[in-house]
This record gives sequence, structure tokens and C-alpha cells, in this order.
Amino acid sequence: MKSPTEINVIKMKSISKVYDNGAVALDNVDITIRRGEFVFIVGSSGAGKSTFVKLLLREIMPTSGHLLVNGYNVKKMPNREIPYLRRSLGVIFQDYRLLPNKTVYENVAFAMRVIESPRRLILRSVNSVLDVVGLRDKYKCFPSQLSGGEQQRVAIARAIVNNPALIIADEPTGNLDPETSWEIMDIFQRINAAGTTIVMATHDKMIVDTMQKRVLAIEDGRIVRDEASGGYGYEV
Amino acid sequence: MKFRTTEYFIKEVATSLKRNNWMSLASIGTVTISLFILGLFLMVVVNLDRMASTLESQVQISVYLKDDITKEQTEALRQKLNSLQGIDTVNYISKEDAMKRFSERLGDQKYLLSALDETNPLPNAFEITVKDPQLVKTASKEVENFPGVDTAVYAQDIVEHLFDLTRLIRLIGLAIIIFLAGATIFIISNTIRLTVFARRKEIAIMKYVGATDWFIRWPFLLEGVVLGFLGGNIAAILLRLAYMALTQKIYDMMTFFPLIPLYPFLTYITIIIILSGIVIGALGSVISIKRFLEV
Ligand SMILES: Nc1ncnc2c1ncn2[C@@H]1O[C@H](COP(=O)(O)OP(=O)(O)O)[C@@H](O)[C@H]1O
Ligand SMILES: [Mg+2]
Repeated sequence: MKSPTEINVIKMKSISKVYDNGAVALDNVDITIRRGEFVFIVGSSGAGKSTFVKLLLREIMPTSGHLLVNGYNVKKMPNREIPYLRRSLGVIFQDYRLLPNKTVYENVAFAMRVIESPRRLILRSVNSVLDVVGLRDKYKCFPSQLSGGEQQRVAIARAIVNNPALIIADEPTGNLDPETSWEIMDIFQRINAAGTTIVMATHDKMIVDTMQKRVLAIEDGRIVRDEASGGYGYEV
Repeated sequence: MKFRTTEYFIKEVATSLKRNNWMSLASIGTVTISLFILGLFLMVVVNLDRMASTLESQVQISVYLKDDITKEQTEALRQKLNSLQGIDTVNYISKEDAMKRFSERLGDQKYLLSALDETNPLPNAFEITVKDPQLVKTASKEVENFPGVDTAVYAQDIVEHLFDLTRLIRLIGLAIIIFLAGATIFIISNTIRLTVFARRKEIAIMKYVGATDWFIRWPFLLEGVVLGFLGGNIAAILLRLAYMALTQKIYDMMTFFPLIPLYPFLTYITIIIILSGIVIGALGSVISIKRFLEV
């Protein structure tokens, strides 16, 4: 059912999402994202980016259509399989979502603990990803002792520690100043270069224009542009 | 379950109990009070129930015989009574026995018997007890028609009121116990909901990184069980002390009061109360975490 050699990491067919209040957040979206791609989902506030991300995590159910993520049939699978879908991907949010009473090390290790990884593997993997995000020497710090950029780097470390094939980020630089944002983008680029697919929702025009990656533009729940290596293209 | 996971759960529970120490104490206190009240009612109901059935089983029918029947007729009657459906014991009380008993009962006032002038007006009788107290009425009616029987009497009012009373006590007791159990589960689930609420972000993050519902549930379940267990233990100790004190007091006051003996009664109560604490704690935490698992 979920094969690691699957070429398409995400496959959306005629996906629509209508919220209970009648708001149409996504309208008949067809999209394919392949292994190793780096894709920006762009669009103004309220365009449907977060809805797109939540569908991939099965945080919400599509109203209609067909959705495959890492080989999981998101719409048809039973609830008890949700944890396994989520283990196959890493997720990063604008507000970091770290545990304030746990240290940097514990926050990252947490993602391995809850899936019952062996302790020796946890030690090795956490140290290694803290190296990747450049926070090895701050492993004992609590989130409150870190800057916003550092906290987001901890969140990235947590997202990649289980070696997911897909990273999904919803406005990861939304709370950061431009310089710190670039540190984050630099880490993403390195992770992507190592073969991990990255899907990032953003409305940061400068980042999108500079990176020249694939761009999917959403407007009122519809894909209005899909460019292989493009810019933001719209005034925010 | 893997060992490191168990270890993780135990650590989580210990941390949580330490972190929420006043809340944990409040929970334990709630469990203790509720289970104590619940236990008191249980002990009262069981005691009253037993008292009632003791009294019930003591109800007997006195079958007074006509004065002019022969030994053979008396013996035939005994056989007839013995073969009756639902009869437990049949005792013959001769008029001499009856007089002896009567004079014993009179005690200091034995002199009253002198008025009888050595005659014995008491009849010969059979005293029968029935297996099921419900049979008293029909049995006495039937026996009255036997040849040689003058009358058959029993404490009619007592028996019939006793049935109503025990039925009522059982019903009220059951209702109170069910109500208290429900109230306790509600209070505990609310208390644990505070713990769960305080950790809702953690639960959401656990879900995002792919923890299964049961993995998330276990520490809370364990926490509820620990709280329920501790509260149940304290309640059980208090109940034991209370019952021992009560037994002593009643013993000092009036020895014949038929309270259920301490053992094994208190052992059963202890087991029931601690188990109830555990079940209530578990139920309470399952109820309170349900809502937060929907991420
Ligand atoms: N839980 C919800 N209930 C109802 N409407 C919602 C909900 N979440 C989002 N929406 C609506 O769906 C549309 C898309 O929202 P969202 O996906 O959050 O956009 P973006 O992330 O691009 O800002 C908006 O009109 C928003 O108001
Ligand atoms: Mg959004």
C-alpha cells in the first residue's frame, strides 16, 4: 500500500473542501508532487493554504476527491491509521509548537519516543539532527531561552528526526525577520538536497522569488498557477 | 508493551503527579470522600439487609393443638407437617415445656403462676419455621385445616412489614450507590480534565508526530488509576476504623444488636472500595481525554 519507491509523494484528484459553515476552502484541486521536489504553496491570506496542509495531515477530511500522501489513501483510510500517515511525514508550523517544559533535546526526542524508538537510536538521531540545524550546543536549553529562529530550528529538527520522505511546513517563516527566515530556508534547502520532498505554504514574496522553486498559486481555493521554477507573481 | 515505553509512562505519571501536586491531592481527596460515603452506604445497606433476613428467617408459626388428641394423632400430624412443601424445622413443644419456658420468661415475677393453682392452661404445640419467609402466610392457612389443629398463628404484621421494609432499603441503597458512583466518576473526570487540559498542547503535538491514541491515553489512564487507588485506600482505611469504632460502641451499649462481624466483612469492603477507586479513576480519565484526542 505504501511503497517507498513511489514516485508521487502527493497526488490530489478533484479535491474539494467545504467547511461546516459552507466556506469553500478548496475547489476541485488537481495536483501531483513527486519525490524530491521543493514546492511553494502561495496565495494571500484566506486563499486555502492551511486547508491544503491540514488535508495532507488528515487533520481534516476532504469533502470530495481522491488524495494519496506517501502511499496512504487519506480519504479512505480508517482513523487508526492516521498515526502511521503522520509518522511518514514531518510537519512544521508558524508558531513552532514546542513543549515549553521540555528541553531542546527532549523536544526532539519526543517525536521518537512516542513512536517507541529504541533509546540508543534516539540519542544518536537527536544529536545528528541537532547538528543539521546547528543547535547541538543548546540541547539543554528550554524553548523560552531561545530566539524565534532557534525555536523554529528545533521544530525542524523534530520534524526530520524520524527521516520522513516529506516535510510539510505552514508559513514557517511567518513569525521571523527576513534574516532569520533565510537561515530557515537554508536548512530546508539542505534537507531537500538530501532527497526529502518539501511542501511549504507561504506568502513571503521575497523568499519565493529568490528561491526559484516550483510554485503552486492558490486563489479562493483554486490552483491558478503551477510553475516549475517561478516567482510569487502577485502583489501581496 | 515495550519496557522503555512502560518506563516512559511511569515517569510521565510521576512527573505529572509532582507537577500538579495540589490538583492531585484534590483528586485524591475527592475520591476519598466519595468512596467513604459510598462505603458507608454499602455497609449500612448490607447490615440492614442482613438484619432483615435474619429477622425474616426467625419468623415461626406456632401450631396450637386441640387438647383431646392422642399421641398417635400428634405423631401423624408431625409427619404431615414435615412432609409439607418448604418447611424447614418442626419442633414439638409439650404443654409442660411451654409452661417451663413461660415461667422462665417471667423471671422475678414467677409468683404470678401461683394464681393458676397448679393447672396448666397452655396447649401442646408445634413450632415450625419455613425456608422462604414468603411462605409463612399460606403455610399457616393450610396447617390450620389439619385434623387436631386448633389454630396456627404467626407475627403477621412483622413479617409483612419486614418484606416491604427490606425491599425499600435495598432499592434506596441501590439508588444511592448508583448516584454516588456516577457523581464520583463525574468529579474525577472533571479533575483529570484539568490535568488533560493543562497538557492539551502536548497531546496535540503527540498526535502530529504520530503517537497512537492508546499511547497518549495510557499515562492519563495510569494517573487516574493511581489517584483512584490512593483515594480508595484512604477511604478503605477510614471505613475500617469507622466500622470498628461503631461495632465497639454498639457492643458496649447493647450486645444483642446483630451487626455483621468485622471479618471477613471489612476485607470485602476494602477490596470493593479500592477496586471501585481504580475503576472510577480509569473511567474518569478516559472520559476526560476523549475530547482532546480529536486533532
Ligand atoms: N475551521 C474552519 N471553519 C470554517 N471556515 C474555515 C475554517 N478554516 C478555514 N476556513 C476558511 O477557509 C478559507 C481558507 O482558509 P485557510 O486555508 O486557513 O487559508 P490560508 O491558510 O491560505 O490563509 C478561508 O476563507 C477561511 O475563512
Ligand atoms: Mg494559513
